[in-house]
Amino acid sequence: MEPQMKRWKGSECDADSWVAYPILSDEQSEDVELVEAFAAPIVNKKETSRLIRELNSLYPLNGLQHVKRVRACRNKDSPHPLEVLLCLISDAPNTKEVSILSLLPSDGDKWEGLGEPFVVKIPARPPLTRPQFELASQRWPTSFHEDKQVTVALKGELFSPQQKATMHMFMTSAVAAARAAEQLGMEAVGAVVVDPEREQVVAVGHDCRGDHPLHHAVMVCIDLVAQSQGGGCHRSDRYAACRFTPTDPTELHPEGGALPYICTGYDLYVTREPCVMCAMALVHSRIGRVFYGAASADGALGTNFKIHAQKDLNHRFEVYRGVLSEQCEDLNMQDVLREHVEGRTE
Amino acid sequence: MATEEGSKAELEADFSINDEEMKRWMGRAFEMAKDALENGEVPVGCLMVHRDEVVGKGRNEVNETKNATRHAEMVALDQVLDWCRHSNLDVRSVCERTVLYVTVEPCVMCAAALRLMNIPLVVYGCRNERFGGCGSVLDISSANLHDTGTTFRCVAGHRAQEAVEMLKTFYKQENPNAPRPKTRKD
Ligand SMILES: [Zn+2]
Ligand SMILES: [Zn+2]
Repeated sequence: MEPQMKRWKGSECDADSWVAYPILSDEQSEDVELVEAFAAPIVNKKETSRLIRELNSLYPLNGLQHVKRVRACRNKDSPHPLEVLLCLISDAPNTKEVSILSLLPSDGDKWEGLGEPFVVKIPARPPLTRPQFELASQRWPTSFHEDKQVTVALKGELFSPQQKATMHMFMTSAVAAARAAEQLGMEAVGAVVVDPEREQVVAVGHDCRGDHPLHHAVMVCIDLVAQSQGGGCHRSDRYAACRFTPTDPTELHPEGGALPYICTGYDLYVTREPCVMCAMALVHSRIGRVFYGAASADGALGTNFKIHAQKDLNHRFEVYRGVLSEQCEDLNMQDVLREHVEGRTE
Repeated sequence: MATEEGSKAELEADFSINDEEMKRWMGRAFEMAKDALENGEVPVGCLMVHRDEVVGKGRNEVNETKNATRHAEMVALDQVLDWCRHSNLDVRSVCERTVLYVTVEPCVMCAAALRLMNIPLVVYGCRNERFGGCGSVLDISSANLHDTGTTFRCVAGHRAQEAVEMLKTFYKQENPNAPRPKTRKD
């Protein structure tokens, strides 16, 4: 009875009950990679700019433009206020004993003003997100070209209450389609394709695996979009919950602009994270953005792969997880329970 | 246990593809690819062969259907399903003994679809540098995916250069900035 209760509660929820988080690329979500370097205190502060100049020409920090050469000393009681990066350990001459003179060529009194070297770990790559920037800065001062949208999105604050209400409405349609599939004895997955500019539904589809093992909700939806444009090849008219809005070119583009082309510029709302086949189908279809409710074990937009951010592919798109998460997780749970029961009766 | 091993041995025996067979089926896949090219589609063609019988064939029909997922393999898999329905045979047991012959390495989407359908063996011509799902971009054919059917084996390289040339011809035509091929009036 538990899921039934939860389901009822779910339908009462409004757009405050969920948060949409972005699924970023691996490079954006990875830990901060560190590389070892020698640093030394600047004992004579007056020499700072000269020392930086000398060090920059002797050991330029190639590929580490994001790292600042000098930092303020962390220890407030320290006799010297500044510390400077000498070189990467990998660039240093191979000597047994590390000292200023072993690292830097003895050249008159050029290096006067530097204290004894020590080892530090500095970030190997420029930070791409604010969390990466914060972690990197704990190691050594780092510059950061912030993508404000990513920062806001990571906090789950990208969408306004109004936008969330619209998203809530579209995902509610996807959940309804999923329930229809469940009623038909198919997997409880639903999907809705939306033209975000006009806030209009282009297609609604659900899982049709009972007919065809490859007719996942996303594949059904992609074909319904094709049908809306006068193409398509599956016939899903026998399912009332699978439908599309025919595009009227005159209404769309009175000036005779470009006709809609596959899923270009469209958003997809789908209750469950798409599998590899469906995720790649969305790349081929040039979808604009994907919103999904719940992750899935073989999901390819975050769980197993990040097909939307895959290197070498010619189209990338934004993905957000968590829209109506509770209701969508319930749908997945229903499927798991059903498979369990079916498995037992076999 | 014994029966399982028996059927496995039978499977292996079925799939010792000889050169002559490969030439024959790949020849027909190439004809499908040419047909695609002549119709303004990405030139990829394929054949699905079950116990020496063609149970599905396809070529790319993306432009024709306005559906970007209508790759040769997806078209052919639909035909395999229809064939099973008409022959009143179980889809899974047919697919488990069906070989795909295709001119180009299946893309990530088609590789996943082939897994979902439990196709055990894929014979292909050239690599698919843009979208390949059997190692070129991702290796879906052997990835550890619990809910995405069974892994499959690949045999690559038959008439690879020819398959590449056909793709090049297509992409040259498609790119509006590329110099137009001179039309000869013989
Ligand atoms: Zn799928
Ligand atoms: Zn494909």
